[in-house]
Amino acid sequence: MTMGATSWFSRKKYVLAAIAVPILVAAWWAFRPEKLWINVKVNEPAPFASNADAQPLYTGLLTGKAHPTSGRASVYQASDGKRELRLTDFATSNGPDVHVVLAESGDAALQSEFVKGDLNSIELGTLKANQGDQNYELPDSTDLNTYDAVVIYCERFHAVFGVAKLEKF
Amino acid sequence: MLPRIKLGFALLTLTLIFAWHSTANAADNATKTLETGTFHGKVHQTSGRATIYQQANGKLVLRLTNFKTSNGPDVHVILIAAKDADDDANFLKSATPRVELGKLKGNEGDQNYVIPKGTDLSTYQTVSIYCERFNANFGAAPLEKF
Repeated sequence: MTMGATSWFSRKKYVLAAIAVPILVAAWWAFRPEKLWINVKVNEPAPFASNADAQPLYTGLLTGKAHPTSGRASVYQASDGKRELRLTDFATSNGPDVHVVLAESGDAALQSEFVKGDLNSIELGTLKANQGDQNYELPDSTDLNTYDAVVIYCERFHAVFGVAKLEKF
Repeated sequence: MLPRIKLGFALLTLTLIFAWHSTANAADNATKTLETGTFHGKVHQTSGRATIYQQANGKLVLRLTNFKTSNGPDVHVILIAAKDADDDANFLKSATPRVELGKLKGNEGDQNYVIPKGTDLSTYQTVSIYCERFNANFGAAPLEKF
């Protein structure tokens, strides 16, 4: 009696295993759950011939505030360590006493079109032209982790023409 | 008189050819950055930057930097004919045209992928990290002119 029950059960076990094992294997193949905690790291070199040219460190797109402003702002580092801001495909409206400055992207003053009081910023120079590609030197001490926004700023009216948040290139 | 004009023409032509040749070469011997964008993806935590370079020989290369996504089965890098893509978007269902760039080499780190010749970047505007097995977009990077 007990013998019979055992053999019946063990036969059922084989049938169960015959069904369950392929299902488990298929589920493992489909989901590969171990990949959740196995990382694959790579580190390929950049597709350039040499790194002698200035390399972009940060980049961001300009969005208009008080005046329509568009284009790209990128910070490049030359092989000698000097950093430069470059504006490309750039266009803003012309205006009096317009400057290129770096500010903190989290600064509440940048939320509005006009800044009350003074904007905490690093001066890069008077805007050379309201259209076209142009470069501005960055002071050596500039901390781009803090001053991570490029602002086209009209000093006379404290108007924010446009802002670009810089993101790591 | 006539031979002198002929000589003048010959010299002018030579100068023009030389000028054209040197400008053409100057423009060709560097890698150009064409487009760039950053990844977004919350369901499968994807972040980093995607940039398309044009090499001196005209070849287009996609490079991922500061890149991170979740590991998964049969994950590929593709270009899709769309402005952007949502998390878990199914491009099979939406019949979004795509260009296959290859299997994801690693879920972390800098990596390059060759873009097939003839790919029109004005059509294929977004990079997607795509799980082919489940047809799910892990992360998308809409590209903008650099």
